[in-house]
Amino acid sequence: MDILIYGIINSFSLALMAIGFTLVYGISRLPNFAHGALYVVTGFLVWSLINLLKLNYLVSILLALVIMGLVGAAIYRFVLIRVRGMATSEIIATYALGLAILEFLRWGGFKGMTYTLPVFIEGSVTIGGIPVDLQRIIVIGIGIIVISFMWLFTHFSKTGLAFRGMAQDEHAAMMLGIDSDRMAVIAMAMGSILAGLSAIALLPLGNIVVEAGYNVLILSIAVCIVGGLGSWVGAIIASFMIGFLQIITVAYIESHFQMVVALLAIIVTLILKPSGLFGRQKELEERV
Amino acid sequence: MLEVKNLMVFYENAVAINNISIKCEGGKVTGIFGANSAGKSTLMYALSGILLDVKKKEEMKGGERITILGHIIFEGMEITHIKASERARKGIILCPERRRIFAESTTLENLKIGGYLATKSQAKKTLEYIFTIFPPLKNLKRREGGFLSGGEQQMLAIGRALMAQPKLLLLDEPLLGLSPMIEGMLARSVQDINLQTGITVLISEQYARPILPIIHHAYVLENGGAVLEGNSRELMENPDVKSAYFGL
Repeated sequence: MDILIYGIINSFSLALMAIGFTLVYGISRLPNFAHGALYVVTGFLVWSLINLLKLNYLVSILLALVIMGLVGAAIYRFVLIRVRGMATSEIIATYALGLAILEFLRWGGFKGMTYTLPVFIEGSVTIGGIPVDLQRIIVIGIGIIVISFMWLFTHFSKTGLAFRGMAQDEHAAMMLGIDSDRMAVIAMAMGSILAGLSAIALLPLGNIVVEAGYNVLILSIAVCIVGGLGSWVGAIIASFMIGFLQIITVAYIESHFQMVVALLAIIVTLILKPSGLFGRQKELEERV
Repeated sequence: MLEVKNLMVFYENAVAINNISIKCEGGKVTGIFGANSAGKSTLMYALSGILLDVKKKEEMKGGERITILGHIIFEGMEITHIKASERARKGIILCPERRRIFAESTTLENLKIGGYLATKSQAKKTLEYIFTIFPPLKNLKRREGGFLSGGEQQMLAIGRALMAQPKLLLLDEPLLGLSPMIEGMLARSVQDINLQTGITVLISEQYARPILPIIHHAYVLENGGAVLEGNSRELMENPDVKSAYFGL
């Protein structure tokens, strides 16, 4: 029973982390290796707004999300636009940015165990004899809201539909007047906001530490590779697979093997089905 | 409406379009005929601006060097260096070769994505119009684009282009790989669109016969250059054209 409950919670956490990464990759084929850094930055940003500027928690969260959106847009507008189309440079540029941000934070004194965000609501409930604190329930709630928002957005809004057009055939979308750079800016902004949102939902469960940036990045990449790069449905299903596997590992083996599960999942996927569960390796198909 | 002056396109050192000058008159249907590799699709991509993006991507990758020379003038404005999405905003919409339908989206979603530039009322009106000229699409609204037949996909591709509110519709080989019956039906639909909405059409085809009745003026391309031009009767009576392009 506790495997079921904590498995679901863990899966939603993974889905929240990965959805921003897969959104950006799906639309503009940009692997955003700064994703983990954006996650951690949001945590420290909210912490600073609350503790240094003495703002209200909710106001801080909203302000931090807005700032993250702008940061994401700026990263594309000023950095990535110059290397767009060169896959290796995209990875190097985003990874370097992520590294710079994280190590700058460490240098700036954000280290140790002293930085925490308050939970949204104190307390816990008992489900089937297992106590679960409310913050974890909220994580599931936010996960469901984000996933359904993304579904509605990509099926009914003009920008969302344009996103899907871009993801399937960039040139065909351009012929219809959809501007590739504009879409990529919006995608990066949304991806950063989603990274921030997952940070805000998940960080109250523990400390804000710089190292989390690397873990979140690896977990997001694992989820996206298993699910098939750029596939949203695949990412959600993959987060449930990895999420449950991790919890089962914790329950029956040992808790510090959690990360190994994610990395093993990458390796196994790359051996058995390199395109992932729902991957679309179109270029590959055409070449064969 | 559209004027192309001395357009030249090179892929590395190979010439794909050799000094082409053509004109599309507003409200008319202009044809471009030519065999494979005559430069029809390159011309279409150059006109719609997609070639600029291909060029940029190749430069980024360090791939093929593409050179574009000459002038493309649309409604009195030089657009040679304007990017594809801006040209679409000005009203140049390409319906590409092999249709390039969004295979994982449904028919209706394909049309909605096409309506990116349209206002709500324009989109609604155009959607109704598309279902009147292409009635088969009406029953396929929820089917994914990849599961449509070739003819249905072509109807959808033209419909999707119409949703973008074109002033100049570029149709690149719209009859490619379709049965003679559907060829005739699509040609008539293109004529209807031109007559009913006044949209200027530039249509390229390898096999000219099915669309010859609907064009006002046409050019014949060969090895990247325009070798002949004339209205449909003049072309019909030219013996070389007759044997080479019309299968007579």
